[in-house]
Amino acid sequence: MNFFLYINRKFIFFFGLLIIVLFLIFIISKQFQLNNIEIQIIENNIEDTDIEEPKFAINNASKKITITAKKGNFLNNDEVLLNENVRFKSNDFSIESEKVIFNKNKQTAESDSKSLFRSENAIITSDGFNIYDKGNVIIFYGKSFIILK
Amino acid sequence: MRLFLNIIFTCLFTINAFSREIGETEITTDEGIEVFQKENFYLLKKNVKINSDNFVLNADKVRIDFKNNLYDIVELNADGNVRFDSEEFKIRGVGDKLKFQVKIEKLKIVGNNSQLTTQDVEMFSDGFIEVNNISGEFSLKGLNSKMVNENILIIADTIDGVFNNTDDVRKIIKLNVIDDKISYIKNNDTEMFAKKIYFSDNTSIIELIDSVTVIRDGEKISGDYGTLDTKNNSYKIKSNNKTKVKVIIQNNE
Repeated sequence: MNFFLYINRKFIFFFGLLIIVLFLIFIISKQFQLNNIEIQIIENNIEDTDIEEPKFAINNASKKITITAKKGNFLNNDEVLLNENVRFKSNDFSIESEKVIFNKNKQTAESDSKSLFRSENAIITSDGFNIYDKGNVIIFYGKSFIILK
Repeated sequence: MRLFLNIIFTCLFTINAFSREIGETEITTDEGIEVFQKENFYLLKKNVKINSDNFVLNADKVRIDFKNNLYDIVELNADGNVRFDSEEFKIRGVGDKLKFQVKIEKLKIVGNNSQLTTQDVEMFSDGFIEVNNISGEFSLKGLNSKMVNENILIIADTIDGVFNNTDDVRKIIKLNVIDDKISYIKNNDTEMFAKKIYFSDNTSIIELIDSVTVIRDGEKISGDYGTLDTKNNSYKIKSNNKTKVKVIIQNNE
């Protein structure tokens, strides 16, 4: 019988076992790496957020607009990037968005994210907005949709 | 799968949340809205479509002045390719610009090929067409101004008048028609030409001033001044020079 055609059962068993073990080690190591990355992302997020649940206000002669968000990051001395559940609220209306840059000094705000304006009789959706003149002027950008009740 | 469900959820949410219901007004724009809260107005920019129970309006730009909130509309100014249609009020119009004052129900359409069509009358002008729904006053000024209905055709640079609002069928109770070249009115069997034509329902008299011509039943009479009594359908033509009233009797056979 040709030696090369002889199959050693033990050899095949141990060789297969070795492959399986190596495969499991590879999978487990990848899982550890993924966990580490997730932990790093969470840690980074915590480290990257300058303010948790920031609150600001825009005041003008007739009304006060309070601004809240889940996270805030200082971009410079005046500007704060507000992230997640950003909400502008006055007695007359509210505006919701996910990402807004608020200028504390100029009392202005601008957003390129989808925005939702609500008042007692109106709903406005847009691709972004800009608030200036202490909240007296609100510009909604892009394709906009209004419902007047 | 999760992405697919998210897309379906988002679509359903959007449709449910933002589709117009009865009594609501829906507005769409391509380039957004500017709200000026201190000045009480907002601008709707590019390809504006307004859809309500009572009317549909399309325009390039629209400015809406409000009193207390966005819905409390005082005045609407539409600019560029204005087109509106009101099924309820049986009125539709086309023009370069439109101004609508809500409280006094005054509508003005401006621009070349302006057009306003109501249940009773069609109005055309290259200047402007103005109608006050409460008082019944109307005014057309500019080149190619024209008013048409079943019984009357009026062509002049200036057509001012008043519709009565009391009867179901609107009829003209006052009319001032002026054109430096010549005004033209065709009423049933009579054609009238003059630089100025006035009518009052109180007197039932149509007054024709300057370069007057009346054509009826093959008769053509010219002069400087004329009156037509709409009650008995008789008319008189005078000339400043008493010897120069011109009568042409045409053979229609």
